[in-house]
Amino acid sequence: MANAQQPGAPQPAPSGPTANAKKYAWPEKPVVLSTRVKRLDGPDKVSGRAKYSFDINRPGMIFGKVVRSPHPHARVTAVDLSEARRAPGVRAALVWKEPGTGATSEVRYQGEPVAAVAADTEEQAIDAARLVKVTYDVLPHVASEAQSMASDAPVVFQGGNTRKGMAQEAGDLEVGFKQAAHIVEQTYSTHVITHVCMESHGCVCEWEGDKLTAWVSTQGVHASRQQLADGLKIPQANIRVITQYMGGGFGSKTNVGAEGLICARLAEQAKVPVKLFLDRKEEHLDTGNRPSAFAKIRAGVSADGKLTAFDGQSWGTGGAGAAAGFPLPYIYQFPIRRRVHTDVYVNAGQQRPMRAPGHPQGCFLTEILMDELADRVRMDPVEFRIKNLPEASPNAAWGDYFRQGAKAFGWDKRHPTGDPTPGPIKSGFGVSAHQWGGGGRAGRAHCEITSDGGVVMRAGTQDIGTGTRTIVAMLTAETLGLPVSAVKPEIGDTMYPACGASGGSTTAASISPAIRIAAGKALDQLFEKVAPQLGVSADMLVADAGRIHVKGNASKGMTWRDACKLIGTDTISTDGEWEAGLSSTGTSGVQFTEVDVDIETGIVKVKRVLTVQDCGLIVDRLTAESQIYGGIVGSLNFALFEDRILDRVTGQMVNPNMESYLLAGMSDIPKIDIMLVDTPLQRSRGVIGIGEPPTVSTASSIANAVRNATGATVRSLPLHPHKILAAIEEQKAGGTK
Amino acid sequence: MAQRNKDPEKPEQIDRSRRNFLKTAGAVSTVPLVAGIAGAAVVDAQSAAAVVGPGNVPVQLMVNGKRVNLNIEPRMTLLNALRNKADLTGNKRGCDRGVCGACTMIIDGRTAYSCSTLAIEVQGKQIRTVDGLANGNTLHPVQQAFCDRDALMCGFCTPGFVMATVALIEKHPNPTPAQVKAGLDGNICRCGTFTRIMEAATSVKGVARG
Repeated sequence: MANAQQPGAPQPAPSGPTANAKKYAWPEKPVVLSTRVKRLDGPDKVSGRAKYSFDINRPGMIFGKVVRSPHPHARVTAVDLSEARRAPGVRAALVWKEPGTGATSEVRYQGEPVAAVAADTEEQAIDAARLVKVTYDVLPHVASEAQSMASDAPVVFQGGNTRKGMAQEAGDLEVGFKQAAHIVEQTYSTHVITHVCMESHGCVCEWEGDKLTAWVSTQGVHASRQQLADGLKIPQANIRVITQYMGGGFGSKTNVGAEGLICARLAEQAKVPVKLFLDRKEEHLDTGNRPSAFAKIRAGVSADGKLTAFDGQSWGTGGAGAAAGFPLPYIYQFPIRRRVHTDVYVNAGQQRPMRAPGHPQGCFLTEILMDELADRVRMDPVEFRIKNLPEASPNAAWGDYFRQGAKAFGWDKRHPTGDPTPGPIKSGFGVSAHQWGGGGRAGRAHCEITSDGGVVMRAGTQDIGTGTRTIVAMLTAETLGLPVSAVKPEIGDTMYPACGASGGSTTAASISPAIRIAAGKALDQLFEKVAPQLGVSADMLVADAGRIHVKGNASKGMTWRDACKLIGTDTISTDGEWEAGLSSTGTSGVQFTEVDVDIETGIVKVKRVLTVQDCGLIVDRLTAESQIYGGIVGSLNFALFEDRILDRVTGQMVNPNMESYLLAGMSDIPKIDIMLVDTPLQRSRGVIGIGEPPTVSTASSIANAVRNATGATVRSLPLHPHKILAAIEEQKAGGTK
Repeated sequence: MAQRNKDPEKPEQIDRSRRNFLKTAGAVSTVPLVAGIAGAAVVDAQSAAAVVGPGNVPVQLMVNGKRVNLNIEPRMTLLNALRNKADLTGNKRGCDRGVCGACTMIIDGRTAYSCSTLAIEVQGKQIRTVDGLANGNTLHPVQQAFCDRDALMCGFCTPGFVMATVALIEKHPNPTPAQVKAGLDGNICRCGTFTRIMEAATSVKGVARG
């Protein structure tokens, strides 16, 4: 919802640290945390030993295939499985979309599941799926926001094609615009992109009586268990979900989806395990996308460069019946403002959260406007932004970051809008700021220390590629004074303590406090066993460098191994849960970008990106940096390449693949400089999360750099060559003010 | 592209039982190519009798120095054959159309998209997959470099990048950034680890020509 609490907005500060959070506070001088620790499962991933859900092969396993609607809007009037059932190798077939006359028999987007089959080989399953006879009554559809909003548009969604939100208002717009010396009035927009996880969505389902084991490619093992239970109407206790490795999610895999339920049903019918993973076309059509965003904005600025008023009408589509919310205006302070948002429905697959949902859109719409306003008052874009920031705080430190970043980037070498250099290659600088909430919520962990010195830390979380397994071990090792290699981290299984889905950059901040507390409690129990041996009280002991010894007297102690022998036939077994005080919410960051634009071809080459980014207490510096690199590349893709294109007439996606749905390759990657803020203040905030913030700004800073290079403003993403050339032509013809 | 193994106009010809279907399909492989049998794979164009399929046929592959005997349909890709029939799941399927590169293997010294290569076509060739690259627990220098530089995140594209990098390093033992770009532009990483893949690829030392 556009008008509700925005996802990613910093949450209100918790009431203060709990007793456990105080007792197990983060160390002032960490030994393991904030260092660079190599991904523990790296060797398994580079050698092919890591078994992703897609790689699970079970004895007797067969393959499922979904039959999908070729129409963007139709009523299913009949489904005939008989021929498919007779096809070679087929063991199961089912109807997913019940035919009929009512709304429940309607398919509302191309690729909506209608039926499914399972056969001995994938090839046979594909053949059999083609033999499923579906009869459709084709209905009118809308394929774009404009078509859906047109006054003569067919009403294709119950309750209308659009849903208008509440106005968000502050102050008297008339007064605000009176204070303005300059007013910019323009329409800005961003496009729909899809997640394109390298491992497609899907699972392997295996029944044993009434118990189901599902190896799902998911960002939430516990969430998946719940969804499977709800969808299959069986107890959660009868389901085990396992995700040891998963090949990318970016927000699209917090739900098992229809394909998960279909796979379970096929396996039930076939009485053998079924593997069902989607193909690339299905991925584009039916596993989520980032909604579009449009805004017609009127904005005022005073002669001395203070923002005065903002009046915006925004809209966007999240597909068939799904909202398209985004924050607007973004970050900068318009004291007087109004925003009215309308969700627009089109006949296309529904949106799902995608890496920093809403923020890249709101950021682009605002940041391009900011550069246009800065030019009106002839101010440097960085100075102009600093002048209009909200009050600084630890999670809103853009002012400092703008200054530090500008210096490191060489921002003083920026020329005014329009590169005066002769020749077709124009160079430009751009800048942008972003925020994200992150922070902790439900997270639980279980620690075991055995008499042989072994340490296991279990958490029912999962690794979507951020390095979760590694930080589980690091956090445990830090707490127990052990090397990282001494800890066995176990994740990705509903047999382990329940944790939330990995979304909103919350994984690290949710599990870190739980792990810290679980390990701290386990260590306390070990201290109780060691203390009598050393003739001291337990509270005098510390664990450090593989030993347990008396505080301030390293020689009075014993090795970890000897200490653990005291556990005897027992096992130390403790639980921890997320508690306030060891994590925080709210990150801020800025990015600077340099591009070259060939004004004869319209091709943009991003040369370098510099980012200043905070994330509280850094857990693993190496993997944190990787996430920043990745976020920047993701946003570069958003700016320059990827675009879900629907045919205006047929409503078909014209590029549901990876050869015409473009993504950056090695040759497209700029030099990336990361300034990761690691200060006592940030460390004191605890763990926050870093997965999403870095992917917000890059597209906006690229667009501003293109504007700085060419002198022409492209107000819609993606920055495809034809749009850049058109903007340059328009500029030559007198410009758009 | 997977090919269809039967006449789409005459699906009623399909025998109802799978066992009989396979028998029939086996018989078809011995008769000359007839019109209407779409997708029959021609193994040896010089021999009119060497038409196989549809239906399972024996296929012998040399994978990571070991013989792998399979009984598969001739239309099965190398990737699917190894992943689904030989449990060699190291190489991944991303796009299934020869674009993303997650399936990259090295066949007779050259990189190939195994999702777009028929298994039957590469009999008698030396096929290398990521599964066979490490020597026990000792990683290949390219694999070690990827770990050292954190040149992976979710890791699903990584086997393809590793294999492409191995082929590159075997050709250019100390590749320049330009050579790395040329060698790895056929692979896509959605997590965006390119910066560190470049670091990894240019840091590998001491790999003999393969």
